[in-house]
Amino acid sequence: MSFFEMLRFAGNALLQNRRRSALSLVGVSIGVIAVVSLTAIGEGGIRFVADQFASLGSSVVIIAPGRNETTGGMSHGVGGIPNDLTIRDSIVLQRRIQSVSRAVPISISTDSISFGERSRSVPIVGATAGLARLQQLEVASGYFLPEGENDRGGSVVVLGHTVARELFGGANPLGATVRIGGWRMRVIGVLVERGTQLGMQVDESVFIPVATGMRMANRSSVSRIMLELHPKASPERAIEQVKVLLIDRHDEEDFTCISQDAVLESLSSIIRTIALAIVGIAAISLAVAGIGIMNVMLVSVSERSSEVGLLKALGATRRQILGVFLVEAATLSVLGGLLGLLLGTGLVMIGNELYPRVDAATPLWAIVAVMFLSLGTGIRFGVLPAWRADNLDPVAALQGH
Amino acid sequence: MIRVEDLWRTYKMGDQELHALCGVNETIEDGDHVAIMGPSGSGKSTLLNILGCLDSPSRGQYFLAGEDVAGLSGDALADVRLRRIGFIFQSFHLVPRLTALQNVELPMIFGGVHPAERRERAEAALVSVGLAHRAGHKPNELSGGQKQRVAIARATVMGPGLLLADEPTGNLDSRTGAQVLDLLSRLHREGRTLVVVTHDPGVARRADRVLVLRDGQIVRRVAGDEVTDLGSLFAEELVSA
Repeated sequence: MSFFEMLRFAGNALLQNRRRSALSLVGVSIGVIAVVSLTAIGEGGIRFVADQFASLGSSVVIIAPGRNETTGGMSHGVGGIPNDLTIRDSIVLQRRIQSVSRAVPISISTDSISFGERSRSVPIVGATAGLARLQQLEVASGYFLPEGENDRGGSVVVLGHTVARELFGGANPLGATVRIGGWRMRVIGVLVERGTQLGMQVDESVFIPVATGMRMANRSSVSRIMLELHPKASPERAIEQVKVLLIDRHDEEDFTCISQDAVLESLSSIIRTIALAIVGIAAISLAVAGIGIMNVMLVSVSERSSEVGLLKALGATRRQILGVFLVEAATLSVLGGLLGLLLGTGLVMIGNELYPRVDAATPLWAIVAVMFLSLGTGIRFGVLPAWRADNLDPVAALQGH
Repeated sequence: MIRVEDLWRTYKMGDQELHALCGVNETIEDGDHVAIMGPSGSGKSTLLNILGCLDSPSRGQYFLAGEDVAGLSGDALADVRLRRIGFIFQSFHLVPRLTALQNVELPMIFGGVHPAERRERAEAALVSVGLAHRAGHKPNELSGGQKQRVAIARATVMGPGLLLADEPTGNLDSRTGAQVLDLLSRLHREGRTLVVVTHDPGVARRADRVLVLRDGQIVRRVAGDEVTDLGSLFAEELVSA
């Protein structure tokens, strides 16, 4: 009996037993869809989180006032700590320490910004020109804060994307004068839309020169100093140097250095945990897929047993019977697998359309695993009755027992 | 010639052993027409399965044309079933998705017969059972008698010398049953050995010899024309026991 003949026989069986074939096909493909889409969501989630931190830039050290702050770089204190960090500290750090390529003093406060009738309460970020590179901020139109105005600070403002849209609608904000608190400020730039980054809502914020920000908030200190290190510099050594220098200036260690590496360290442990959860989800969906395929296939076992009995009585060898059933089960499993892969991938693509910020993509290992699983389970249960043919009482089998 | 010697078939049901056949000895000559009768559970079907090489005896020997088939491998047994034995079942067992013609072709597919020759032989077999005009119909479009005649065409298409029929008229009314029996008689007259398992004295009467089985043993052998009705057959056996 040639392979072609087996294929014809199996194909005929599949086409004629439409309900059974359709059920098996659905069973296999639902399992595959589950695995393909769930693992894609998981992978996308992990990548989303990882990207958030990657976008923070290469080697950044954050200096915060106060000794006791140990919580990563997420919260920006609102001042009030004596013997604070100053703009002067920032300038000295940049000048004296070689591995620091850029030091950006930052002051943060909240105030209302208004233009004409429209008004909004927003975070006011006082910073210097260096922040644009440090935070990888891009200007959609106009300019970012001007260089070299650390001490004086003009009355200029750069608007985040959302702020610009809400205050000005479609109009061009460049050159317009807005009010922040009691101050009149000229808009010199608008940022590209960015989204949330590590708790800092760039789109909702406005950026002004740091000295202006401190005057506005009536403060003499900054909230943070962000240091960008040379790519080859060792963060540990740089932090050591920063400490020595600042202790020398402040007479005590009244500040905290947070290196991005440390932040990343704790984050990667979170990511590992998420990854583990994804593997768990994948394992469960694989198991569900396997059980689904199994059930559908088992339903047809008794039906097929009688066919095995008949083929045996007609003189088919064990190999021929196995061959026919194998071809049939393999055809079904492969078709179901491909269908599931197609639909699952389609689902993932639709998801990506709806939520473009999470780049979901099924990992290759999941595809390979689920294909093997569906093939394996499908073939195993498709061939089972033929496999048992030797132990089969043909008479009982013919009666469908 | 078929010869079985001290044939036993034992099933294990947990701790218990169930003897379906207990030392059956019988010789069936080529061209014989033998009926096997007996109450349910007497071992008729088990004997037929062993004769048909679908089942192997637990003990004893089975010679088919002088060859000890009890010792053959699975593939060799499949070949014996393919070329030398034709089965006819009570409930026909046609493959429902195949047409009458395709059903008759089925054993030839396993026998590796070339497609063109296969078709020709299947058509000829259908002609010989008087169903040439139904060749393209599926089993559910055929009457019971027609189904059984297709099954008979399928059983004979590989040219076996031995036909085994298990209650061939059990699912048919008496008129179509008679047609099927006439067909079987004709095949027997053409030189085939015919073994029929039946409850029906009318079917058994057509046989040359009748074997009466009870509790896995042949308890009586009578000529076919001696069979009057089931009751008398078993009553005599009970008295003699």
